[in-house]
Amino acid sequence: MSEQSLVSDGPVLDKADPVLLAEGLEKRFGGLVATDDASIAVERGSITGLIGPNGAGKSTLFNLMSGFYEPDGGRVTVNGVDVTGKEPHEIADQGMIRTFQTPRKPEDMTVREALLVGPHDQTGESIVPLFTSPSTVEREERRSLERAQEMLERFEIGDLATQPATDLSGGQMKLVELARGMMAEPDLLLLDEPVAGVNPVLADKLAGFIEELNEEGITFLIIEHDMSFIMRLADPIIVLNQGSVLVEGPPEAVRSDERVIDAYLGGPSE
Amino acid sequence: MSALDVGAFSAREKGVAGLLGGIGVLLLIAVVAGVLAPAYLLYLVSLSAMYMLLSMGLNVQWGYGGLINFSVAAFFGLGAYGSALLTANSSPISGNVSPVIALFGGLLLAAVLAVLIGYPTLKLRDDYLAIASLGLAEVVRIFILNENQWTAGSAGLTGIPLFFADWPVLGDLSYPYVFQVGGTALFYMRQPVITGLLNLVLVGAFVAGVYLFLRRIHRSPWGRVLRTIKTDEDLAETLGKDTFAFKMQAFVIGSLIMALAGVFYTHLVLYVSPPDLQPITTFYVWVAVILGGTGSDRGAMLGGFTIVAIQQGTRFLNDAVQLPIGPAPLRLMLVGLLIILIVRLRPEGILPPERELIWPDAMRGDGDE
Repeated sequence: MSEQSLVSDGPVLDKADPVLLAEGLEKRFGGLVATDDASIAVERGSITGLIGPNGAGKSTLFNLMSGFYEPDGGRVTVNGVDVTGKEPHEIADQGMIRTFQTPRKPEDMTVREALLVGPHDQTGESIVPLFTSPSTVEREERRSLERAQEMLERFEIGDLATQPATDLSGGQMKLVELARGMMAEPDLLLLDEPVAGVNPVLADKLAGFIEELNEEGITFLIIEHDMSFIMRLADPIIVLNQGSVLVEGPPEAVRSDERVIDAYLGGPSE
Repeated sequence: MSALDVGAFSAREKGVAGLLGGIGVLLLIAVVAGVLAPAYLLYLVSLSAMYMLLSMGLNVQWGYGGLINFSVAAFFGLGAYGSALLTANSSPISGNVSPVIALFGGLLLAAVLAVLIGYPTLKLRDDYLAIASLGLAEVVRIFILNENQWTAGSAGLTGIPLFFADWPVLGDLSYPYVFQVGGTALFYMRQPVITGLLNLVLVGAFVAGVYLFLRRIHRSPWGRVLRTIKTDEDLAETLGKDTFAFKMQAFVIGSLIMALAGVFYTHLVLYVSPPDLQPITTFYVWVAVILGGTGSDRGAMLGGFTIVAIQQGTRFLNDAVQLPIGPAPLRLMLVGLLIILIVRLRPEGILPPERELIWPDAMRGDGDE
């Protein structure tokens, strides 16, 4: 049957040009094994979906790959550079930016200030150049401000630029997070439940924005529970169950795969 | 919120400025009326400025970066002792070094200690720095109290020169000093007044320099990263910021400013002893920062001023009216009352940061305002 052959048993790791490659990741919390030999590869230019029932280890995997958890075993490579056990900021420097399930919002900042934190390696982040080369700092700031405004307008929230970053609706916060991630000019964006708690209209818009950005060359890895959202957007879809990858394949095939249905329904996973 | 009014003052700031001006006029009247000695007024103003330095230092750590430092007194004390040990003729270590060089000695001592305590704790959660610094302050004080051979112990250090003692002209004025224009004597000043004026100029320069420095780094990408760290360190990390390095920089800069206040204190009071490092100083400075408005440099300065007003004002209160309570407990009670009032009525402080902290030049030509 054609459908059966489309779905790979376990992860597909021999991709032509993976931005992110995680191999055999393991994480135990005391006696609880959160991820067990989890491996995934994210092909450059793809929108890869990561789904799985609650407790499957999706967020743990994100935390392992982005450096927030130290893996007990395995290896993570971003853009060909081994980043296993590195600090989150070192991994971000390799071009992989993540968002969080609950939007993070800096207090006492306007939306555009929050966006200005995004760009990498700003000259003005070091103290000495603030005084020795103020014109470089100013030029960069002006450019970042312009980009921030462009980014907000692109996401149709340009009018929020000078609003306090904490006075936003859930959906607007998700957009601001995406915009801030984009300010860092990433190769790969890891989105953790981008439409959780977002109304369907805005979710639709968000899907459109993600597709647009993807066409411009940004790779996405998205955790999402909203099936219609992820099925519409992502290809391939990786299904995580009990700490490791169950299957991987195109959305239609994954959706009708018996093993996936069993995993979600809590049935036998064999 | 308009982003372009950076140079302008808000109504609240005008109100505060008016109040401070009023207090200034009252104090001047008191001087003219002979109630207040001019040299003492100069001393009070200098002391306020010193507290402003301390609050600005803590504001860099707590206000910008959310670092909980309970050893303000220790860094202040290191600046004071570092400078005193180098300059005092009673110093058990070296002594008689020029105060200008000793200034850097005091700062260096504070910087070294800041790195030593910051290195193990700034990688951990916020609370650890709070706990470690609380202990550190006492360790430093008790060390100074007990290591007589290096610090002169409980006796303290005397024989400290004035900051300008070895300066070309200022060092050898004759007193009373007569101001004259074209050979006509206009007026003269006695030594305490001249000394008070020079001290005020010195601390004024320190405050102005520190304020301008902080204004620049606060409204910069550097300051923005620290403010992000304050609310969400993980967020800063995911955006590729080395949060440990940023926190360390803020911690060292803040500690240096506190030590600078200590250096000035040494040459203002000309005597340092272990009680100068009592933890109460730390809490006064904390109150000053919270009162002024956490994260605001102007607020920190206002807070520093208020603390001195309470500390010194309570002395006079006892002379003016017969109180059933001594000045020391009254002082603590007033501070306590102040904290309660602030937390109840204005938790963000009197002068919280009100504007976007983006360097104004970078926004010029920004079309959307």
